[in-house]
This record gives sequence, C-alpha cells and structure tokens, in this order.
Amino acid sequence: MLDNRAFPSPALPLLSPLGDSGLLVRFGASLSEDANRAAISFSDRLRATAVSGVEEVAGNLVSVLIRYDAQKTSYDALAGEVRLLLAGADKLEPASSCGVAVAVDFGGEGGPDLAEVAAILGLSQDDFIKRHNAVPLRVLATGFAPGFVYCGFHPESLRVSRRPTVRARVPAGTVLFAAGQTAITSTAIPTGWHVIGHTRFANFSISWDPPTQLRPGDLVRFRSEFV
Amino acid sequence: MHLQVLRASPLTTVQDQGRFGMLQHGIAASGPMDRTAFMRCALALGAESSAGIEFTRAGMAFTLVGGRTRAAFDGGTFQLRHNGQECPWPAVLDLQSGDTVEITPGSVGNYGYVRLLAEIDVPLILGSRSTNSIAGLGGFGGRALAAGDLLPLINMDHVLKSAAKPALPDDGQPIRVLWGAHADLFPATVRDRFLATSFEISGRLDRMGVRLIDREAVFRDTGQLTLVSEAIVPGDVQILGDGTPIVLMRDHQPTGGYPRIATVIGADLDRFAQRRPGSTVRFTSVTPDRAHKAALSR
Repeated sequence: MLDNRAFPSPALPLLSPLGDSGLLVRFGASLSEDANRAAISFSDRLRATAVSGVEEVAGNLVSVLIRYDAQKTSYDALAGEVRLLLAGADKLEPASSCGVAVAVDFGGEGGPDLAEVAAILGLSQDDFIKRHNAVPLRVLATGFAPGFVYCGFHPESLRVSRRPTVRARVPAGTVLFAAGQTAITSTAIPTGWHVIGHTRFANFSISWDPPTQLRPGDLVRFRSEFV
Repeated sequence: MHLQVLRASPLTTVQDQGRFGMLQHGIAASGPMDRTAFMRCALALGAESSAGIEFTRAGMAFTLVGGRTRAAFDGGTFQLRHNGQECPWPAVLDLQSGDTVEITPGSVGNYGYVRLLAEIDVPLILGSRSTNSIAGLGGFGGRALAAGDLLPLINMDHVLKSAAKPALPDDGQPIRVLWGAHADLFPATVRDRFLATSFEISGRLDRMGVRLIDREAVFRDTGQLTLVSEAIVPGDVQILGDGTPIVLMRDHQPTGGYPRIATVIGADLDRFAQRRPGSTVRFTSVTPDRAHKAALSR
C-alpha cells in the first residue's frame, strides 16, 4: 500500500465525509509547512464564520474536521459553504498568534534519549540543545491528547525518525523530539518519539476555560532551564 | 441521598450524553457506548437526568443510602434482583433507603445502564459528567467505579411526558458503514473483501475500541502505512500495521495515523457496541444520505 496521492494540496483541498456527521477538509496527504498553514488558517476562518449546523471545528496537522448536526444541515450544503469559504480565502486577515517561552530541563532522568539523539545527528549534547532552541517554533497542531502540542519545523539538519519501540507511558511535561518537530505532553501518554527533556510548562487544566492555552499557529520559544 | 457501590464490573463508569466540543483540546466526547439504551432509560423514567451509570457484562450491585428515588435499567439483557427478588429486564424500580439492587450477567450485550430520577452529583468537568477512560477525567474522580464508592445523589424535578419505545433486538443484519478517510488507499479487491467477509469480535474490546479477528486475512498484505495524523470519529474502522482491524469507540484517541477504511454510521454504532466477543460481524456500505435517514428513523 503506497500513499502516493499528489492531491490534495493547499491550493486544491479535498472535502470528504468522515462518518455521517463529519466533514474532513484536507490540505495535503503528508505534512508540509504550506498544508499546515492552510489548515490552521482555514479552521480560524471557519470558527469566525457562523455556518449553520456546524457543531465543532477541530484542526489537525494538515486537515480540519467539521462536526455537524445532520438535522440542521446536509453534507452537501455544508460542503458548499466550505467551498465558498475556501474560495474567499485571500480576503481574510490571518489570525494573530501569541508567543510563549518554554523552559526545558534537557537530558538527565527526564530526557533519557538526549545523548542518543545528539549522537545520531553527530552533535555534542550542548550543540544539539543550542540548535534546538535557536529559533522559535510554531504550534502545528493540538488535539492528539489533552494539552499535547506539536511544534515545528526544525531544519532538515535536525531531523531524526521515531524510535523503533514505543514507551508505554511518559509523564506530563515530557519534551519529545522526532520527525523535525518537538512536542510537549500535558498528560501521561505512550510515545514512540525520543524523550529529550522535561518542562514545568503545563498546557492543560480542567479548571481553565478553555482547558488549554496554546493554539495552533502560536509561537513557542524553547530555552534551557539551567543556563 | 447516596448510591453505594457494592460490586462493579470492570470499567463501570458514570456517563452523560458526552463532552462535546473538546476535540481541539485533545479530548474525545465519551458518553454511553449504547446511546439508544441510555436514552431509553430516561424515557422510561419520564425524566432526562443528565448522568447515569454504565456497567459491563459482569453487571454491578448497589444499595440506596438515605432518601427514595426511581431507577430505570436498560441495555443488553442482564439478570436483575431488587432486594433479592427477581425482576424482568429492562425495568423501572422504586427504591427506598436500604434497598439493594443486584445486576448479574445475562444473555445479550456488553453494556447496561442504570439511570435515576436523581442527578449523580459528580462535578461537571468541561461541561460534562462523562468519564473519559483515556484521559482519566470526569465522572467519579476520572476513574471506573469500585466497590465502596459512595455517589452523592440529588433529587430531580423535571418530568417529561414521553414513553420509551421498546428496544428492537439486534437482528444480526450487517453493520452499515460509510467509506472511510483512507478507503482510497486500499486496493478495490481489499475493499470488496472487507464487505464480503465476516469478522469476529475479539475479546480485546473496551470504551476506546473493539479489535476484530480477521480470519480470512483480508488486511494481511495491506502493509504498514503511517499517515499524517488526522481526526478520528467514533465508528472509524482502523487497520493497524499488523493488519488487525479495530473499530474505534466513544473514548477513542482524538487523532491517529493508521489508515481507516470505513466508518460505522451513528445509527448502527450502539448495536455494534453490544456485540459480544466470539460473535461475527459483517459490514455493508451506504451513502451519507442513507446514513442520515437511518439516524432520523431511530
């Protein structure tokens, strides 16, 4: 089975049903900067537009799920509204983004894979940390788990693949690294990504409304906790 | 007034309609595995209490401490005893302080419900009392109920005038699906075989998903394909890297990167949830329009 679809693309998104009360808008078949920006921008615009029957808008890395009430609209009617909104894309202001600084305790007990990651990249641990923190990253997506954020993209020179095995549980505040991205957990989850550090930064609380603070498109500046 | 749990099957949880609107924050909606049965309890009571208790095949036992209330039981077929006296299933019982209810395994289904003419007074977490077993939040301290738990109850006064339609038994008809997010990535021969083959419900099922046994190896050669993470909805039929099909349920992970060939329609997901390990399931594809009509006719 090969995923060789040239379509969809940011300029030519694909609309398809996801179950009988979901419409999925895809801006790419794989992760790219353009497809990610298109997905974030579209979900922001859709949230700012009152479209009848829409119950929930959930953006992901390169796609947006629209959950709708089938008693208030139909798939076809909603798809029509979505196409209109996509066609008018250039007339809308991009949403403003916020920035946050995240202090990370790299390596040690909370980051057991730091040495291995640095070795794969042929860097000293200090050099890796320096390069990792060099430029702010964008929040690419949320939604994998409560408060979880994918941040990217690192340059090609910092790209490593996932680990061959999955850790059954890493705690909240774990800083993960793989696939040109850094991710932060806010709850305990299983992961196949490299565990490079730990942060006290928390992006999820059931007592907040909304329960997470980082939104897709926000900027995250990582720094070392002990320097 | 309290409900004291004397015995609880694994994964007995407090559920209400669900916690909708939180996907962006990484939280699936949860809610009853069999929403139809859950709703029938409310109709039988003539009241729409918000939360109830979902138990699994081993059932549960509880006693009412202080006060009096009415309770409705439905979902699957269980054995029910009120102070030792056998009762039919489903049932509506008037309970007084000290009364004991014992629910033991019956002939049909995986999930049963008890709802009361009282609100289960656990905190609203992000707008819902549903327990989310994957995120460990909501319900009774974010966890499954266990013997000894004492649930506070508040009497309710909203009474609706409606009657419960009796449950239709599962006629064993194929489970209806829409083609899924990645159906186009599966060869046409595999899609055909998916609809032509009987799968077996495995013993590995919970609120997150139901693993199927693919005896005919329909998905043996579909290979490992990791896709960019995308939204998951309840009912998605996902194919794991080793070819195992798994139907994702109410406590699904909000996003995932395995290919999904189909999605069970909302009108058939409750019926599917009640299918027991060892039973077989076949799938048939319908159009979105057909799925909407099925939803309205329930």
